[in-house]
Amino acid sequence: MVASAFAADVQMSVEKPLISLLDRTVLKIEFIDTQGDAVDIPDVDGLNIQYQGQSSETRIVNFKSSSKIVHNYIVTPTKVGDYTIGPVVCTYRGGQKEVSTQLRVIKPQDDKEAQQISEIMFSRIATDREAPYVHEPFDLDLKVYIRDGVQIDGNFSLRGGMPESGMEGELKWEVTGQDRTDRNGTIFNVYTLHTTAKTLTAGTFTFRPEVQVNVVVPRQNRRPYGFDDPFFGDFFGRQETRPIVLDCNTLDVAVQSVPTELRPASYTGGVGVFDFDVDVAPSQLKAGEPITVKMRISGDGNLSQITPPAIAANHDLKLYEARSLPASNPNEVRFEQVVIPKSDSVTEIPAISFSYFNTKTADFRTLTKGPFPVTVEAMPQQAAQVIASIPSTVQQKTEILGRDIVYLKPAPKVWKKTTDIVWYRTKPFHFALALPALFLLAVAGATSKRNALANDVARARRQKAPKAARKNVARAEQALRQNNEAAFYEALWYTLAAYFGHRLNLAPGEVSLPVVLARLPQEAAALESLFNTIEQRRYGFHSNGGKSKDEMKSLLRQLTATLKKCERIKL
Amino acid sequence: MRFKACSSAFRRFPMNGFATEPPKGGTTNLSMRIVLLGALLVFSARASLASDDTFAQAQAAYNAGRYAEASMLYEQLIDNNVANVAVRYNLANAHFKNGDLPQAVWNYRKAWQSAPRDPDIRANLHFALNAAGAAEPVPPALQRFFQTLSQTEWIGLAVGAYIAFTLLLILGLSIAPAKRTLAKLSLLPAAMILVAAGGWWNWRELALNPEAVVVKAGATAFFGPLAGSTAHYKVPLAAIVRQRGTNDKGWLEIEYDGQRGWIKEEYIRRVSP
Repeated sequence: MVASAFAADVQMSVEKPLISLLDRTVLKIEFIDTQGDAVDIPDVDGLNIQYQGQSSETRIVNFKSSSKIVHNYIVTPTKVGDYTIGPVVCTYRGGQKEVSTQLRVIKPQDDKEAQQISEIMFSRIATDREAPYVHEPFDLDLKVYIRDGVQIDGNFSLRGGMPESGMEGELKWEVTGQDRTDRNGTIFNVYTLHTTAKTLTAGTFTFRPEVQVNVVVPRQNRRPYGFDDPFFGDFFGRQETRPIVLDCNTLDVAVQSVPTELRPASYTGGVGVFDFDVDVAPSQLKAGEPITVKMRISGDGNLSQITPPAIAANHDLKLYEARSLPASNPNEVRFEQVVIPKSDSVTEIPAISFSYFNTKTADFRTLTKGPFPVTVEAMPQQAAQVIASIPSTVQQKTEILGRDIVYLKPAPKVWKKTTDIVWYRTKPFHFALALPALFLLAVAGATSKRNALANDVARARRQKAPKAARKNVARAEQALRQNNEAAFYEALWYTLAAYFGHRLNLAPGEVSLPVVLARLPQEAAALESLFNTIEQRRYGFHSNGGKSKDEMKSLLRQLTATLKKCERIKL
Repeated sequence: MRFKACSSAFRRFPMNGFATEPPKGGTTNLSMRIVLLGALLVFSARASLASDDTFAQAQAAYNAGRYAEASMLYEQLIDNNVANVAVRYNLANAHFKNGDLPQAVWNYRKAWQSAPRDPDIRANLHFALNAAGAAEPVPPALQRFFQTLSQTEWIGLAVGAYIAFTLLLILGLSIAPAKRTLAKLSLLPAAMILVAAGGWWNWRELALNPEAVVVKAGATAFFGPLAGSTAHYKVPLAAIVRQRGTNDKGWLEIEYDGQRGWIKEEYIRRVSP
């Protein structure tokens, strides 16, 4: 028998009460022999305390059990000093207790001057464009400063601090360089991370990245069994990493919208600095044959947002929709448009203009190419050209450009209401749902009965017995009305013979009083009387004619009553 | 009794100067029903015209670039209990154009739950999530299959399969020579019933573990349901998350991009019913 003999208690402690600035420790709140939830630890200036989760432990010593629920918090210092964590009130089953603990943080061994983490390592973000335009790419450079002598594992992770919305896609940071610099007489290793950002909307975008680095520090727990030799070093994992989130400046980027004033009609959304080329081929063709207009826009800017420049509409030209072509160069975008001259009067493909907003000069620029002379021959008279047929080049699958959301949907033909009862929640539906099953059960029952009767003659005859009796009783009643005694008794006999023949599954000649009595002894007296009386009257042993009609009626009643009783008897 | 009957007759047919005898109950009931039905039809026709009008105004506002006004008009339709997917989808478009990504994603996802195969909804939801820098929910293959039909469609399929199943069994019982063939055939609707049940459960699970959209900036998922807990990961604004647990202190355990964490309730808005 294991018994619990410990009183409920709550304790707060730190795993290591003395740590260096680059170290960290675990704060524990232990609920001993009781249960309790994690508590919010009040902020302590100079310490970062984060809840890590809970663990539980059960011990049995000398047949006495003790259990413990431990809530763990990671404590990371940001400044040196003596700290008191708490007091906090812990509520547990059975009471409350105020607990607190002490922690001392000292300077790191290899840096006698630093009082704060931010003096040892920090980050700084900067941009090349203070006020870019919407969709205009701008560079972001993030420099991570690590004091010389502090070792990190080289992994940088950005935990947040970026604008929540309005950015185009996710920022992809790359480490582009490593350098050493002198800062107030202290040498720092500088890691440069770079990305290019674009915004979808105008407004102020605030960047304050939370860069996390992993600082490599010596493992605190030394092995006690003789491997404390520098030779083994990292082979036995004498070092471990401490994740530290770096302090960073705030960078506000005021993104401007593209002006609407003086915006050319041919502006198709380009923001940046671009070149524009157009190629038209073939230049000699027959009316109804396609000309392919290839457009190439290259440069720095929001290439993916640019829609194809338009070719001026002309009643002699049939224009097909421009489509995007895959481009091997990431700094260019290509479009292709098919144009069909309808007649030989076409002498040129009109000039094509591409307008964009130049971010360097802060104005709209229009680049125009063409017109492009073409020689179009007339079609032979006998062949009527079907202009509308789509040339094979256009029949290729159109690429979904995905530059904007899909258009609105038209008005519905029928207005649905949230208050409308859904068809499958209506009572008639629930009722109707039961019908097929009920119908199936009925059919199954009928089929089963039919099969049973087909295989069981006795049962089938048993079911026919009342009907056969009723038929002969009807004949007897008819004979009674006609005062035909012979026919009446004959009918009564046939009633008995038919009923018991079917009921007891007997051949017609086998129905006799002894056989019936053997199977239905409960009604012996009534049956004996009936059989004898009917048999006597049937073979002419009539007592007297005057009473015969009343007697016949009485006998018929007796017969039907007896048969009803026999019908209720289970065999 | 007689007095009661008489008084109730007076209540139903109040006397006036022209009434000489109470009209017969059956005829009056029928005519009243016809009047009521007519009134109902007129009312619903007027309501339908009003919805048409509001919808047209919203479309016009959208096309003119007045997205806030378009959102308001579409929301007005929804407030008037209009349940068409087109309204929800257009509202999402208006929110998107107005720069309100969380509301756009929320409405796209709501519309998607009613019409999961609609390519426009899927494309725009994908686009909006991409613009928000949020990961798109990627369910397992089986769940994706179950999401090809809406809950109502799965129920419809199950009912159809159930009727086919019972009919085949009834025919099998009635036509003895075709019994075996029909019994084998009935396995097909039986399997369809099972698949439809899976599809129904897939949507039912959304009510048990609802989806939600992050509607407040700065959402951080923690390792534990505690303000001082270790930050696990940041959840972008307008991201779609799945609720996996809850506690009574306003914390929700969510799953986003395959990672679980705890977040305060105020950061999200529930999509699922």
